[in-house]
Amino acid sequence: MSRLAGIFWALLFLAVPILGVATFAVAPGYGIWLPKDVSVHGASIDSLFYFILVLTGVVFVVTEGLLFWFLWKYDVARGERRATYIQGSHTLEVVWTIIPAATLLFIAIYQMNAWADVKMRRPRMSPTVEVIARQFEWRLRYPGRDGQLGTSDDLHLVNDLHLPTDEEVLVQLKSMDVLHSFFLPHVRIKQDAVPGMKIPVWFKATEAGEFDIVCAELCGWGHYKMKGRVTYEPRAAFDAWLERKYAEQEATQPQPEPTADIATND
Amino acid sequence: MTASTVSIHHDHGHGGHGHVHLQYQPGLPLTRGKLIMWLFLSTEIMFFAALLGSYVVLRFGAAIWPKPHHVHLSEPIGAFNTFVLICSSVTIVLALEAARANKTGLAKAWMVLTLLLGALFLGVKGYEYQAKFSHGIYPMTPRSLIHERPDLYYGSAVRARLGEPAIIDKLKELDDTPAQNLSAAEVEARDTLKKVREAVAAPDQQAFDMAWVADKVMPLPGEGAHGGGHGAGHGLNDAFPWLRLPIVIPGGNMWASTYFLLTGFHAIHVLVGLIVFVVLLTFRLDRKRAGMIENAGLYWHFVDLVWIFLFPLLYLF
Amino acid sequence: MSTIVAPSHAPAAAHQPHAAGFLSTYVFSKDHKVIGLQFLFSTLLWFLIGGLLALAVRWQIAWPWSDVPVVGKLFPLEGGQMPPEFYTMLFTMHATVMIFLVIIPILAGAFGNFLIPLMIGADDMAFPTLNMLSYWFMWPAFICFGASFFVEGGAAAGGWTAYPTLSTNPAAAVSGGWGQTLWLLGLTFVGVSSMLGSVNYMTTIILMRAPGMTMFRLPMTIWAMFITAILQAFALPVLTAAGFMQLADRVLGTGFFSPEGSIINNTMNGVGGGQPLLWQHLFWFYSHPAVYIMILPAMGMVSDILTCFARKPLFGYRPMVYSIAGIAGLGFIVWGHHMFMSGMNPALGITFMVATMMIALPSAVKTFNWLGTVWGGRVQFTTAMLFALSFVSMFIIGGLSGIFMAATPVDIFIHDTYFIVAHFHYVLFAGTAMGVFGAIYFWFPKMFGRTMNESWGKVHFFLTFLFMNGTFFPMHILGAVGFPRRYADAYHYETFHHLQPLNAFMTWCAIGMVATQAIFAVNFFWSLFFGPKAGRNPWNANGLEWTAPSPPGHGNFDYQPVVYRGPYEYSVPGVEKDHLMQTDPPNAAAAAAALAAH
Ligand code: HEA
Ligand code: HEA
Ligand code: CUA
Ligand SMILES: [Cu+2]
Repeated sequence: MSRLAGIFWALLFLAVPILGVATFAVAPGYGIWLPKDVSVHGASIDSLFYFILVLTGVVFVVTEGLLFWFLWKYDVARGERRATYIQGSHTLEVVWTIIPAATLLFIAIYQMNAWADVKMRRPRMSPTVEVIARQFEWRLRYPGRDGQLGTSDDLHLVNDLHLPTDEEVLVQLKSMDVLHSFFLPHVRIKQDAVPGMKIPVWFKATEAGEFDIVCAELCGWGHYKMKGRVTYEPRAAFDAWLERKYAEQEATQPQPEPTADIATND
Repeated sequence: MTASTVSIHHDHGHGGHGHVHLQYQPGLPLTRGKLIMWLFLSTEIMFFAALLGSYVVLRFGAAIWPKPHHVHLSEPIGAFNTFVLICSSVTIVLALEAARANKTGLAKAWMVLTLLLGALFLGVKGYEYQAKFSHGIYPMTPRSLIHERPDLYYGSAVRARLGEPAIIDKLKELDDTPAQNLSAAEVEARDTLKKVREAVAAPDQQAFDMAWVADKVMPLPGEGAHGGGHGAGHGLNDAFPWLRLPIVIPGGNMWASTYFLLTGFHAIHVLVGLIVFVVLLTFRLDRKRAGMIENAGLYWHFVDLVWIFLFPLLYLF
Repeated sequence: MSTIVAPSHAPAAAHQPHAAGFLSTYVFSKDHKVIGLQFLFSTLLWFLIGGLLALAVRWQIAWPWSDVPVVGKLFPLEGGQMPPEFYTMLFTMHATVMIFLVIIPILAGAFGNFLIPLMIGADDMAFPTLNMLSYWFMWPAFICFGASFFVEGGAAAGGWTAYPTLSTNPAAAVSGGWGQTLWLLGLTFVGVSSMLGSVNYMTTIILMRAPGMTMFRLPMTIWAMFITAILQAFALPVLTAAGFMQLADRVLGTGFFSPEGSIINNTMNGVGGGQPLLWQHLFWFYSHPAVYIMILPAMGMVSDILTCFARKPLFGYRPMVYSIAGIAGLGFIVWGHHMFMSGMNPALGITFMVATMMIALPSAVKTFNWLGTVWGGRVQFTTAMLFALSFVSMFIIGGLSGIFMAATPVDIFIHDTYFIVAHFHYVLFAGTAMGVFGAIYFWFPKMFGRTMNESWGKVHFFLTFLFMNGTFFPMHILGAVGFPRRYADAYHYETFHHLQPLNAFMTWCAIGMVATQAIFAVNFFWSLFFGPKAGRNPWNANGLEWTAPSPPGHGNFDYQPVVYRGPYEYSVPGVEKDHLMQTDPPNAAAAAAALAAH
């Protein structure tokens, strides 16, 4: 076999780590990268992402690099050398088990706090808003002036979520029909909505702005268009918005949303 | 089938092919048949483990679960069936012993007895199913008469049933029957039925009234001390079997789903066992067949074992 | 033992099946080799179908709502343009075909069948009739899946994961009719097929090894097939049970997976009390082990190919065996990593996360040992070797992306995005499918007695490798944007509207990748009839299968194989030839004699 062929194939395998890293390096320049984060806990998720990216990146470059180097060096066309007869190495096996084990265990422990912050340490407060997913829209229910959900003065809206910035908000998530997933890319929140369950979701937005609500769990033919909008705004603006919506609703009484109550039986 | 057997089987007749009869180094001192049977049974264990696991999850995740008596499950019948199945596990061992001792007649007799016991089990199971069906307990929504709670939906379901033309005729017939043609209990039940008809027809019904209706249609036996432990067999549906009014069993639909799922798959396994026995009975059950009987026995013990799990889970807890 | 007939003394030609009819020889055959090839041809056909479905998926993602070529004509699409519900059917059936009709049966069915008896020195499987049945159960499955496209409402559209209540409640999906029910039936048939195969393989491997073939002299392929069979036997019945429950929910009206009081299409759902998450637990209890079912055999075959063309013993044979066992064992306790966002108790998520991290360890051991195997070898760049090397290279990518998702907080963001799609195509296509291509090039001579064309093989490899990375690598960065999977059209979102050009590029690559397979198909069929004749051992490999005629006749071996050593004795010092076959007699003189006799 010709040496040239060996060089060609070895270089092909070298291209893998080079192009792989290059793709990740240029992607942010084209805006094909993590969307802007406007939440408090998002920073810890993103830094964990970067941490794992660097770690796996190193493993990736080293292993792919070794593969290239071995192909380059041990090409049969390099001459009549016999292959090394070696059955393995106990020391090496131990080393390459322990080091990844330690690394992985470190990641596992290191990230637990971030997970607990997002999913386990539920703030003690009553829900800011109830989000009821349904094919193919997000129904929203704000507690009315009495601050209680499930009373007759609730404010009902569809797909147009507003939340205050700089304070913890608690979303009570439900589904009326099938699974959906409440995905707010810009605050790094995702939670499936499950019929029959009431799931709390909490976060703190740090910046005002208007963003997408994405449904991330297949929920039928209209899954792709189950789009909502979320607006984060300072408390005063938020209150004013609530007041305005409330007045609009009063003007168009009676409220035609009885189904939502049955769906969620409370 | 026969043609293909020819093509695969080591045709020692055709010499001159350099064909060798290969020797092996078996890793376990088992015949192929027995090993594959054990492996097959382990897959079966996982199958039933999944079903039983689902049962446990569904039951303990449910807000409410009916007591065996609410759903007309009788422990004595279940216990009897357990006994039948255990006996059949003994008789198949005896059949195996007899076959090993080359007592073909005796082996056949034990085998027949096993078959009969298995059939008896299925018969009892069929009787139990029949009891469920006759009370409107089905695993499926269109036929099931079970409502989870005595709410307005329940009331309208009863009203709808009472409004069916066939039932209207029957009711009329009942109303027109002179009292002396009816037993005392029937007269009493007829009066109750009148009140039930009034209650569901009332425009301003309350959940409370519907609970009363449900109790009259099919009373749920209370817990030991207070309810007197009886009551089944005293509802309107029992007094007039043609009525088949919707009934209320909290948690009843999920109960029925799991009950029929578990016992149904078990019954299918029993049925397969019976077919195997029938096939075995067509052979001479001598020493040469001991291996087959043993495999059938392994399978049968497994079926028995599954029931040993099902019985307490379904009937006792 | 002294009466062993050396292979070279035996008639070289494979003897043909006797007067038995065509039907029993090629169709209802009970010969494991014929069954293996039946599996191979069928799965390749289904692979093509799965690939075309993938192209239709890619077309929609790149150019949403534009007329679909080919598929638009095949299926009655209105004006050739795809309605959104058809898109959901497409990816559901793409995944179903690829997983249940291609990858699992091509590994266990085609290669497992063909190789197991040959590599352990048996004349056939322990139960040839069961073996035949396991093949014929694939066809009802295919018919169920295939027919579902043409029934009222169309094919299953709930994703290959078939999550309730979308899948259980007919009112919830456009394909509320027969599609999903047929899908469940098809799954049951596939399950029966796999189950029959797996118990048969285990029995064969345990009881029918040639004298001297101890467990620790088995080639990695056989170890992998053996452990895969165990995985199948213990995981699959759970899916079967769950499938029956979902079937009951659909046709009998039970409510195992339906909670109380949901309202679908404005009508109240009658049944209640069930739990949607129960299905997910049961499904992943099977389907996580199943992803290892879909890669372990490929890992085994790649190990065999790597050693052969590096002319080196496998680095760390025992650790390799233990790591397969470790992957399989741990594989049973990590299923919850698919459910981090499902509403499952987040504390439970932590235990699944730790277990998932740990499962990377045996994979790490495997990866490093493969690298160790190439190190210091004499690497021959045959087509089979290139595919095997690319398996290693690509598995690293797919495996490392798994670490991102195993990290629960990161999974919050990337779950159900294209990052996941990237991950599993790297392990499944770039990994397993590339390994399978390698295995086809490697064992083709044994299967058909002829070798495939190497030059065209390399062209096939090069283009597939290029296009495959072009298709799947950018999915990682799409996932980083949060680009959601299972979306017929995501460009109307502000967050994703700028991603269409990248998707178009990926679709062009996918088209190139599928087109490239024409080279493979032509090479395959041409070589079948006109390829150069191969001897018994064209690659100078060590395994038992290479001592049998190519292709082997009935009963496989024309002599009694006796095994003296492990399968990877390449370049043994003091032995002149660079490989010692498992059957070569132990002493050096005899070895030399054997060499002379060649
Ligand atoms: C062959 C198939 C296959 C294989 C082998 C794997 C292997 C792994 N998978 Fe994958 N996975 C799938 C097929 C597969 N997966 C599929 C099909 C899905 C999606 C299903 C769906 O939703 O439709 C999925 C989804 C999936 C998820 C769910 C994601 C989500 O939905 O949010 C997760 C989460 O943890 C995961 C993790 C892993 C891990 C940790 C491994 C590990 O086994 C990988 C281990 C390998 C390595 C890590 C690389 C080699 C190691 C080294 C080079 C050593 C050094 C490394 C370190 C120190 C980090 N996979
Ligand atoms: C083994 C599994 C497997 C394989 C091989 C593939 C192969 C491919 N997949 Fe697939 N895919 C899945 C499993 C697989 N996929 C799964 C599980 C999902 C998730 C579904 C869900 O969400 O429910 C998915 C989803 C999925 C999506 C996401 C859809 C979405 O979420 O909206 C996309 C999009 O690009 C995609 C693309 C492709 C492409 C372009 C290929 C290409 O690689 C295909 C290439 C095909 C070929 C190259 C054919 C080759 C033909 C031959 C070799 C035959 C030669 C013939 C003879 C010799 C007779 N796949
Ligand atoms: Cu709602 Cu997807
Ligand atoms: Cu998994």
